[in-house]
Amino acid sequence: MADLRPILLVEDNPRDLELTLAALAKCQLANDIVVARDGAEALDFLYARGEFVDRTPGDPAVVLLDLKLPKIDGLEVLEKVKNDPRQRQIPVVMLTSSREERDLVRSYELGVNAFVVKPVDFNAFFEAIQDLGMFWAILNEPPPRGIEHA
Amino acid sequence: MNDLQPRDAAFDLDACAAEPIHIPGAIQPHGALLVVDPASLVRLNASVNLADFTGLDLPLAASLADAPGASQLATELRRWIDAEESSFLALIPVGSRMLQVLGRLEPQGLFLEFEAPPRSDAESLAGLYPRLGGFLSAIGGAADVAAIAQAAAQEVRALTGFNRILLYQFDEAGVGVVIGEDGDGVLPSYLGHRFPASDVPAQARELYRLNRIRLIVSSDYAPCPIEPAASPVDGQPLDLSHAALRSVSPVHLEYMRNMGTGSSMSVSILVEGRLWGLISGHSREPRHVNAQVRTACEMLGQVVSLQIEAREQADRTAERLALKKIETDLLARLVGAPDLQRGLIDNGGPWMALAHATGAAAHTAEGVLTVGRTPPDEVIAELVERLQVEDVVAIESLAEIWPEATEFADTASGVLAISVSQLHPDCLIWFRPEVVRTIDWAGPPDKAVARGDGRLHPRNSFDTWKEQVRLRSLPWLPVEIEAVRDFRSAIQDIVLRRAEERAQLTHRLEATNRELESFSYSISHDLRAPFRHIVGFAELLTERERNFDDTSRHYLQSITDAALSAGHLVDDLLNFSQLGRTGLNMGRIDLAKLVAEVRRSFEPELAGRAVEWRIEHLPEAWGDAAMLRQVFQNLIGNAVKYTGPRENAWISICGEEFGDKVRCTIADNGVGFDMAYVGKLFGVFQRLHRAEEFEGTGIGLALVKRIVDRHGGTIEATGAVGQGASFTFTLPKRSASESGRVRKGDLRG
Repeated sequence: MADLRPILLVEDNPRDLELTLAALAKCQLANDIVVARDGAEALDFLYARGEFVDRTPGDPAVVLLDLKLPKIDGLEVLEKVKNDPRQRQIPVVMLTSSREERDLVRSYELGVNAFVVKPVDFNAFFEAIQDLGMFWAILNEPPPRGIEHA
Repeated sequence: MNDLQPRDAAFDLDACAAEPIHIPGAIQPHGALLVVDPASLVRLNASVNLADFTGLDLPLAASLADAPGASQLATELRRWIDAEESSFLALIPVGSRMLQVLGRLEPQGLFLEFEAPPRSDAESLAGLYPRLGGFLSAIGGAADVAAIAQAAAQEVRALTGFNRILLYQFDEAGVGVVIGEDGDGVLPSYLGHRFPASDVPAQARELYRLNRIRLIVSSDYAPCPIEPAASPVDGQPLDLSHAALRSVSPVHLEYMRNMGTGSSMSVSILVEGRLWGLISGHSREPRHVNAQVRTACEMLGQVVSLQIEAREQADRTAERLALKKIETDLLARLVGAPDLQRGLIDNGGPWMALAHATGAAAHTAEGVLTVGRTPPDEVIAELVERLQVEDVVAIESLAEIWPEATEFADTASGVLAISVSQLHPDCLIWFRPEVVRTIDWAGPPDKAVARGDGRLHPRNSFDTWKEQVRLRSLPWLPVEIEAVRDFRSAIQDIVLRRAEERAQLTHRLEATNRELESFSYSISHDLRAPFRHIVGFAELLTERERNFDDTSRHYLQSITDAALSAGHLVDDLLNFSQLGRTGLNMGRIDLAKLVAEVRRSFEPELAGRAVEWRIEHLPEAWGDAAMLRQVFQNLIGNAVKYTGPRENAWISICGEEFGDKVRCTIADNGVGFDMAYVGKLFGVFQRLHRAEEFEGTGIGLALVKRIVDRHGGTIEATGAVGQGASFTFTLPKRSASESGRVRKGDLRG
């Protein structure tokens, strides 16, 4: 069953944003895509505060999170989400240019659900986004509210 | 030191050394002693011959001031006491005769010694001064200590008229060697002879230090007792340490008689507060030397002492300077050497010269290194084990403390060892060979003790007694021991400085590494993105615009290709730089399986091509699986790429084990390369083909070499244009720790 909760895309680079949106559009997902342009905005959405104070309640189906972000960077956002018992079941996928091992190790330590290095090849990039969208937005059943992951 | 304690000198245990010779309770009878209270001049003690010798009748409790015939003496004594001068020496009429009077203030009272006056003016101090002046200028020009000793012996004989004057020098063990002699032939010559340490017992040495001159007028004298024997001042026996008339031990008198001497006199030579030697005069007959001549001899002894002290210091300084120069040269070379041990071995000459040795060794955890003539390594190791050197150990006869070492006497009789590290049993050792010497003793050096009568007797033979000294090296001089100490602290400084330099270098490298890391981090984020964007938008454009003509599409494709290859280049570069930083995840690797997997990954690329794979035995290796996969990926990738133009292409992959290594060769019959450029093959960005011929970033082989290097292997390439290429690399077969080849402490030194 399709999960129609929104996808939260956190990306500061306008070109990456455009390309990612184009790739997601190709997946023809029914989910809304909410864009946050930095870590602070992403947290505002997740906690329904600031400009998102009036948003429809509920967690996003998945967070696609860039690693390098202004104000609060991706790893910090990830840490906040995964350390918060109310948030930590939200799937977070790191989308990054970095091939750095330490970023990868740190992300997994913080409990990231997937880590994707954006390939230079657009087709590969497209496939990766498509897979992610399909898996997390369509196939992945969210746990019932109130039951927390151990 | 453990069990290698050298034998103690035995003389301290001699019965003779126990005799309290400073409180004999008697004087020699050629003079008289009177002890008075310095304030009242009241008599405290007196020798029983006082009245006979001086004509002075002074009952107990009577004052010298009231005694008939002593008024001038009393007056002069009071004046002397008021002037607070150190000693009193005067010719004064006492009682019925003119006497030489010696006065000295002691805790037990004012000691007055009366002796016969000089026989002539020549024996008075006024007459002796010119002589002493002449002697002073003579020894100023003496060539060495032996010449000074000779001149002093001649001068003392001229002053005193003894039959023979000997000048002894005591060595560290207290053995006296005669280095200067003057005589008239009445008594035998002992020049060059040795007298055992027991001839001069310890307490006699101490008296010689306190009282620089001593006279025994006759070896046959009958001691003249003192009454009372104890001092009324403190109730203790009268201390005659400083008395010229002090009666000597009967054992010594017997020794004199055995030696054929009727009288003797000794003048001490003190150098740096130590009893360096004695000027010793003997006559066959009894002989009195008056106090003024004795004073002259005492002064002469002091002049000789100072001269010897100055000479010895000058000699030591000269020797020290010579050794310092050797040390400085050696250190300069050591600083330039790759490590301390290497530096020492390469500079064996100066290393040995530092301690005038004929062999040297460095003992460290890594083993024993030697230069010159030394015992075998295992003997040196055992020696170090036995010596347990904590600071410096200087041994002249190793065989004496370690009998098994007799075998190595010709290389290692003398051992000078110094520890260089407080943490490790590291030490530097210098060796000297046995030097066989013949020593002339003045009689057998073992002192006879008791004969039938149960009394103590000195030895009675002074005939030359030859001893062959074996298993001993030349002694290690203090200056040499000092030199190796200095050397030790200098090399410790070098080692410390090296460690400091290494720490600084490590610090700098860490900083550089951090910079590089943040640089490549930025590149991975910021340089990759634009290429990705170019490719992405070009693709989007291609999909969106269906009406492009072929040329436009070609341009668009070129944009995509260019950005793609730039992106791959960045990826390869990052991969390459990460390789140097990430740790190796070592494990056992089945190369056959790995190669099969890599080969399979090229199947899509090889679709439509006929390539013959010649894969032979591939052993197991030890390495990082991901990195080794990269090696095969790149090498097989190259083979696939460069055999592209061949119709009957083949690629061979084979491996073999040799020793503790595995060797792999990947060869092909592709386009090959010119061996002239083989040196450039493994460089970053080095390409031997034009870009349009073969794709590539020019990093693949550099990456391969870096991986092989990090595994501790080597890689080589051979090839010929148009005939193919062959790459052979080695890898460890087992982990270093498994094969037991880890060397700890390689960085030390």
